[in-house]
Amino acid sequence: MSEGHDDHGHGKQSFISKYIFSYDHKMIAKQYLTLVMFMAVVGGSLAMLVRLQLGWPGQHAQFWETLFPAGMAQGVMTPEFYVMLFTMHGTIMVFFVLSLGPVSGFGNFLIPLQVGARDMAFPFLNMMSFWTALPGAIIILISFFVEGGAAASGWTAYPPLSAIRSAIPGSAMGQTLWIVGMIFFIASFTMGGLNFVVTILNLRTKGLKMMRLPLTTWAQFLVGILGLLAFPALAAGSILLLFDRGLGTSFYLPAGIFIGDTLFPHSGGSPLLWQHLFWFLGHPEVYIIMLPALGFTSDIISTFTRRPIFGYRSMVYAIVAIAMLSFVVWGHHMFVSGMSPFLGTAFTMTTLCIAVPSAVKVFNWLATLWMAKIQFTTPMLFALGIVSFFVTGGLTGIFLGTNVVDIQLHDTYFVVAHFHFIMAGAGLFGLLAAVYYWFPKMFGRHMNERAGKVHFWFTFIAYYGVFFPMHYLGISGMMRRIYDPNTYDYLKPFQNVNTFISISAFILGLAQVIFLANYFWSMFKGKKVESENPWHANTLEWSTPIHPGHGNWPGDIPEVYRWPYDYQHPDEEGDHAPQWQPPAKVKAAK
Amino acid sequence: MAENIQATRDAKHGMALAVTLWAIMLVSVAFFFKYDLPELASDRQSQDTLYYVILGLTGVAYIVIQSLFAFYIWKYRHRDDAEGSYWHESHKMEVAWTIATAVILVPIVFAGLVIWDDVKAAPPEDVFTIEAVGAQFQWDIRYPGPDGQFGSWRPELYSLENYLGIDPDDAAGNDDIHLINQMVLPIDQPVRILLRSKDVQHAFFLPHFRVKQDLMPGIMTSVWFTPTKIGEYEIACAELCGLGHYRMRAFLSIRSQADYDTWLAEQSQAN
Repeated sequence: MSEGHDDHGHGKQSFISKYIFSYDHKMIAKQYLTLVMFMAVVGGSLAMLVRLQLGWPGQHAQFWETLFPAGMAQGVMTPEFYVMLFTMHGTIMVFFVLSLGPVSGFGNFLIPLQVGARDMAFPFLNMMSFWTALPGAIIILISFFVEGGAAASGWTAYPPLSAIRSAIPGSAMGQTLWIVGMIFFIASFTMGGLNFVVTILNLRTKGLKMMRLPLTTWAQFLVGILGLLAFPALAAGSILLLFDRGLGTSFYLPAGIFIGDTLFPHSGGSPLLWQHLFWFLGHPEVYIIMLPALGFTSDIISTFTRRPIFGYRSMVYAIVAIAMLSFVVWGHHMFVSGMSPFLGTAFTMTTLCIAVPSAVKVFNWLATLWMAKIQFTTPMLFALGIVSFFVTGGLTGIFLGTNVVDIQLHDTYFVVAHFHFIMAGAGLFGLLAAVYYWFPKMFGRHMNERAGKVHFWFTFIAYYGVFFPMHYLGISGMMRRIYDPNTYDYLKPFQNVNTFISISAFILGLAQVIFLANYFWSMFKGKKVESENPWHANTLEWSTPIHPGHGNWPGDIPEVYRWPYDYQHPDEEGDHAPQWQPPAKVKAAK
Repeated sequence: MAENIQATRDAKHGMALAVTLWAIMLVSVAFFFKYDLPELASDRQSQDTLYYVILGLTGVAYIVIQSLFAFYIWKYRHRDDAEGSYWHESHKMEVAWTIATAVILVPIVFAGLVIWDDVKAAPPEDVFTIEAVGAQFQWDIRYPGPDGQFGSWRPELYSLENYLGIDPDDAAGNDDIHLINQMVLPIDQPVRILLRSKDVQHAFFLPHFRVKQDLMPGIMTSVWFTPTKIGEYEIACAELCGLGHYRMRAFLSIRSQADYDTWLAEQSQAN
């Protein structure tokens, strides 16, 4: 393929229209990924500071004062600084890394390529979506520098803490900016979701029936629907919270709130309403993060086992079931909130239903590995890591979904362990696996394999080192979000566990430097890709030229003749038959 | 291109991954024998039983699935020349493992429902009631005093002197006992604790008693349980409530009925 790829039928583009206000879904995806990496560095650094405090409470070197003169005066971290750290770590990671990366980033990149479309259905909306997310991210970052610091009411922003300015320093300007940033984010995500759904429904190339879609695109399709239905609840909820903060309304504030010798004039609201609205988004949000990762895993595992994904149909049904169930389980975050015990019963039943489709996915992956010819590329290693995390985190979900057991474990480190495996772990590894796997399609170069493997080993082992011991802390009764567990006598014996976790966390954090260096180095210096389909994969994106231009295919869009998993097909020559290969090539002998 | 895949097929990584998965599985399971729930001091044994049942079931699932996963990675590493397989569909297997998972979960769900009903049921007749008020960042504990009646309270009366907003005109409040960050309970006597927050959300957490309940501003919540072990325990706040959340800690002392009565008499006198 020639290098003159950027202008198929689109004329010359200026720097600004190509790199800044681009309509090309591939460029928009790269913009998202760049933003995500920056936000991940910020969010990850916040976690490192959290671990610094928990590993060695109250004892930090003097030099921290130069970095954070207020938060770590004399090298001692203040509690309000600590609360802000984990609040913003959660916010940034959940929304601006694990949602924007796998969904807005890779969803944008892959959907048109995998369905055989020249671009998203609404390219302008797509561009707007990025240019709405970016201000959201900038507002969130600016909030660190306002008086009182960034928001400090947890990523869940429960009122009254988040509604009353005097409740905590971060509830001043920082919380307002948090809400405004979130509204930008939600607007962006809604535009993206609309694009995803419409593109997948309407722009599929000839022959590409829904049941021939790669599982990655199936996942993105469901994520688009989840985002469209769930995020508006948080948008509405956030705006009401803004009203409570600034306009004197009482959506979340009952009568009789007394803070700092002041009785507040609100009456009639309930903070429980916020919990319902927040978790009505919050739980689908977990699947918005997870489903793309599970899709990547399925496709990457199929490619590198040279096997069709086992039980494709049941895999599709499973994620559809998970997506639907995700709307009726939000109350499992509220078992001890004081809502009606009857709801606790109902939400336990719906929650444990999710275990069934989740288990089906695991069994299908195992069956895919049976008789496989596994190629241990870096993306494959990360995909296998996701399976391991999904099993670990999925099983601990059974504890927390059971309301009786949740009474003890709720808001302990058991929960922190659980969601860092099932959601954050799968999401992060999904993002990393996707970057390693699709990097050749994005930049026409390979990432360095050796560095990739070193990155995998440190990341995988350190990840277990950080998050598995948190289960032990949780069952021992250590609460989340506490600045110094040694305040409690019964938690003092577990300081060594916390120190171990912190050391693992620093290794985990440092290992990501290898990744970032590899990413940017490979973009310019990586080994050039020699064919358009370097992994010998079957999905449609690999039929585009090495450097696909705006419009993706220089000629006609290929027709699709088959599903994307024809590896080792007995009637086909070679070990794989891509979707765009007509089915005629039956072996002569048969 | 071909060399690139060749270089990455390195089966050593498969062996290493399998061994790593086995090792992680063994180590992580082993530590569950070291770390356990805090020693139980209430009648909520059934909650623990269900915890251990789930721990056992998920533990077995964890060991079996992670081991099998590691085994497949080991066994099917790097077999370029070996025969592949296109087999990818088995309705029977799909149905079997769907039903198997569901069948294992059903008893957990039902056991959970029965115990939940128990925990959330109305307390017995002979329960006695005290109040715990959460505020940034302390627990105010109130006993009704000899008359067994709490004095009424109103938020308008909150002040630094009248911390709980007790109505001075209500005679029932005259003998109420107000303690800060300290609770004393008699053993084997069911107790109900009324929970209210003065400011933000808190959570009343008794790790040794398997009790946790949020304090929701505007709503009065409550828990009840029966202490079964004499000793000194800690009360924790388990819901982020501000910068002092970590130090919102109180003490709970479980005493024999006689010791408790003596203590209560002293408190009433001091009042």
